[in-house]
Amino acid sequence: MIKNYFKIAWRNLIKNKGFTAINIIGLSLGIGCFIIISMFVIDEISYDRYHENTDRIYRINSDIIFGGTELSMAVSSDPIGEVLKNDYPEVDNFVRLYASQRSKLIKNGNDYINQSAVTHADSTLFKVFTLPAILGDTETALKNPNTVVITERAANRYFGSPQLAIGQFLETDDDGRTLYEVTAVIENMPQNSHFNFDFFFSMANVDYDFGNYLSHNFHTYVLLTEGTDYKAFNKNFKEVINKYVLPQASKLMEISSMDDFEASGNRLEYSLMPLTDIHLHSSRNIELSANGNIQYIYIFSAAALFILLIACINFINLTTARSSGRAKEVGIRKVLGSEKKALIGQFLTESTLIAILALFMGLLIVWLSLGWFNNVSGKEMLMSSLLSPKFLIFIFALPFIVGGLAGTYPAFFLSSFQPIKVLKGKLSLGNKKNILRNFLVVFQFATSIILIVGTIVIYKQLNHIQNSNLGFNKDHVLVVNNFGLSEETRQSLKNEIEQLTEVKSASFAGYLPVGGSSRSDTTFSTETVMTESNGFNMQYWNVDYDYLETIGMEIKLGRNFSRDFGSDSTGIILNETAVKLAGFKNPIGKKLYTSDDNGNPQAHVIIGIVKNFNFASLRENVGGLCFQLENNSWETAYRFNTTDISGLLSTIENKYKAVAPGMPFNYQFLDEAFDNMYRQERRVGTVAMAFAILAIIIACLGLFGLATYIAEQRTKEIGIRKVLGASVANIIKMLSKDFVRLVIIAFIIATPIAWWFMNKWLQEFAFRIDLTWGIFAATGFVALVVALITLSFQAIKAAIANPVKSLKTE
Amino acid sequence: MKTKLLSLNEATRTVNSGSNKVTLLDTINLQVNEGEFISLMGPSGSGKSTLLNCIGMLDSFTGGGYTFLGEPVHSMKEKNRSKLYKEYIGFVFQAYHLIDELTVWENIETPLLYKSVKSSERKALVADMLDRFNIVGKKDLFPQQLSGGQQQLVGIARALIGNPKLILADEPTGNLNSKQSTEIMELFSQLNKEGVTIIQATHSEQNAAYGSRIINLLDGKIVEE
Repeated sequence: MIKNYFKIAWRNLIKNKGFTAINIIGLSLGIGCFIIISMFVIDEISYDRYHENTDRIYRINSDIIFGGTELSMAVSSDPIGEVLKNDYPEVDNFVRLYASQRSKLIKNGNDYINQSAVTHADSTLFKVFTLPAILGDTETALKNPNTVVITERAANRYFGSPQLAIGQFLETDDDGRTLYEVTAVIENMPQNSHFNFDFFFSMANVDYDFGNYLSHNFHTYVLLTEGTDYKAFNKNFKEVINKYVLPQASKLMEISSMDDFEASGNRLEYSLMPLTDIHLHSSRNIELSANGNIQYIYIFSAAALFILLIACINFINLTTARSSGRAKEVGIRKVLGSEKKALIGQFLTESTLIAILALFMGLLIVWLSLGWFNNVSGKEMLMSSLLSPKFLIFIFALPFIVGGLAGTYPAFFLSSFQPIKVLKGKLSLGNKKNILRNFLVVFQFATSIILIVGTIVIYKQLNHIQNSNLGFNKDHVLVVNNFGLSEETRQSLKNEIEQLTEVKSASFAGYLPVGGSSRSDTTFSTETVMTESNGFNMQYWNVDYDYLETIGMEIKLGRNFSRDFGSDSTGIILNETAVKLAGFKNPIGKKLYTSDDNGNPQAHVIIGIVKNFNFASLRENVGGLCFQLENNSWETAYRFNTTDISGLLSTIENKYKAVAPGMPFNYQFLDEAFDNMYRQERRVGTVAMAFAILAIIIACLGLFGLATYIAEQRTKEIGIRKVLGASVANIIKMLSKDFVRLVIIAFIIATPIAWWFMNKWLQEFAFRIDLTWGIFAATGFVALVVALITLSFQAIKAAIANPVKSLKTE
Repeated sequence: MKTKLLSLNEATRTVNSGSNKVTLLDTINLQVNEGEFISLMGPSGSGKSTLLNCIGMLDSFTGGGYTFLGEPVHSMKEKNRSKLYKEYIGFVFQAYHLIDELTVWENIETPLLYKSVKSSERKALVADMLDRFNIVGKKDLFPQQLSGGQQQLVGIARALIGNPKLILADEPTGNLNSKQSTEIMELFSQLNKEGVTIIQATHSEQNAAYGSRIINLLDGKIVEE
């Protein structure tokens, strides 16, 4: 029986090549898209699951509100891990990572490499995480100072092989020059880790004022004992704060109890976050790498599912629309003794066969587009990941799911025909008003319109970010790293480059208003003695005289630092938010206080106010910030005015290499660094655009199929109308009218839904575009035009056909 | 004495057409014995086809009684009814109604599939039937590749494959020329002699004459026998 089903299914597919093609193309696009997104989602949710104790590992997060500044951090203070382990039996072990330095210079032969993916770690690293050793004993590897554990990749790079690396020394620029012995080589870390280091240096070499509960600089992970409820454990942090943090804090300022502290609107909280939640649910300050976002997982999954649905709908609509063609067969089979069940089976076999063909084409599409998708999403997914048992089952099941989804309704619809009616030829289903079909077409176009609106809004928002008034000028600024240069060399190199005609100004700029640059904050008070109510936290950046000019910031009030004033070393320049935080009406000349190492107040005179500029992501409002005049020559920024950028770059590189032989020449353009902050949004935009285009293509394929069928059905009617004097335009209008109405209904339904979603998305940005009616109007117009073009192929063909021919076919 | 195959007792079929009640079949009384060859005659709309369809259980009477092989069809459930006609009745149509996507062989085989006949047995039965109708050479052709007469031969072969007690033929020669027509009627005559009961609906006096009994219908009533 099944053989017979397949035979007739196959012959039907061959016979109706056009419809088969539309169905298979649509479904294969849908399936391809669905598989890629599934790969993406599975990869995203697989993060950090490879550790043996995955379920027992937690990171300590810190949430601080102080003086109007809110900080959610992925780091905690240095002693807290140890305190937890000592005081609470539920804590089996802990490990800290200290990765404040984003990179180290490491000597390789005669040259230095600016090596990223470096961190310092406690020797307990391997007790908490599963990082298998290739050579060496990880048990003891990081116990002593001046030890380092490296990955196979690093061993190959610096020594040629793990065997050659073990026992050798790595020279870094720590403290000028420090040697580390390679005590173990571990396997490369899997790609799906929320941190991915190649070098784990001994924690003993970290130059840090340990025992400080008030500074948060360590990523701390704890291993809880089996069966511990981390949410319940979180309650213990209150005790930890009272016992350890409060005594230290009260030395610095007048705090009597945590209740007082909280009563004045401040807050200090610690909490555990499960390791496996970090990648998708954590976007805190100071993450070890840019994490994913569960929102986007939902959005992508939904979009992929909808595209698959749109493709299934094509199958449903085309099959039911063409049902009169199959009705005769159904009638005969019933007369010959077929039961309804058998017919349903037959039609489901057919839809499954189509789905199987679509699966193969879909896999081809995956294979062809995976490179592109990897590029867009920043992933490194391989076709071979489809061969894992779970995925194979999923892929094997997919055509049956899709076949069922697309085929069930048509199967029931077709198999319910009364044989007597079809055999008498009384059944004319093609023209019958089919509410379900109309509903499905509306659904397809509404989904497409929502995706198009989404794409347009994302792109407009990105454009807005790139072109909005940032408060500084990101264009034409080159930032060069000053690796391995003495203070004098840095100065003389800067002076030399400043002489170039292409360079307008130059500044030592360790702090920049883009992601990935240094940040430091400190607590200020408006009076000499700090209390909970007069203190506030803000960014505290060391700059030089030329900084504001080079980065293109604007003085709103007062003046910039000037070489003409000797007293500027105690002066500070605030941004507008900082003025608000301090609560000054006439800020110029007023003083703010910090406390020095001995707890004595230090006064800073406000000499100027700079216009607010964005130094964080545009998702956030501008926080408080102040500049002070202090040497900070880690990087030099050059504002240039030339179009020959590569020429300028090579001139500067030559000058740098001349004074710093063997050092890596590292540079970035400010605008590129700025754009990188919005890479995730750009990725989402690109994927959304691909989705939107796919959706509209598949929807139009379906529309094309329906139009073809309707035009075929109405050939005779069109012939008669033409004989009676209808013009080509009349006919086209007649054929397109119904579909155009559906597209308009889809637009009306889609608009509020799209508005709601995109409005929600935009709320994440402190600086955002307005959702104007123009966006929706443009989308509606595009959808309508695309639908009309699709329809016109068939409509025009039918309308200009010679009526004599169509009438003769009777 | 021949056994009674079916009997109609005041069988009636009415349908609603808008607000009017239309009577398609009006108190039909009819007994059919095994081995009969009945011709239903009458003008268009007289109810020939409706009567055939109702006897074939594709349609149902709305009133009166219908007994088939001693079983009361009028009080049966849809499922049992279809079991009954699957087992005992073969249909032949004016428009042949072959399945376009299936070959001659497959068309003839189809009823056996629905009866769950084993593959080897199916092969034997279909081969016999092809032999009997002299269409072995056409077994791999599709319906469109055959003449009308040949298509109707396949249609009859398909109706016979399940070894039915009754063949219902609705204008079996309506689409054929006179030569093909004669051949088909000769074949029916032959089958009848072999013991198959046949009820045919026809316009043609000539074709009706092949039957052992002629029933004239007018406006849903039997007017003459």
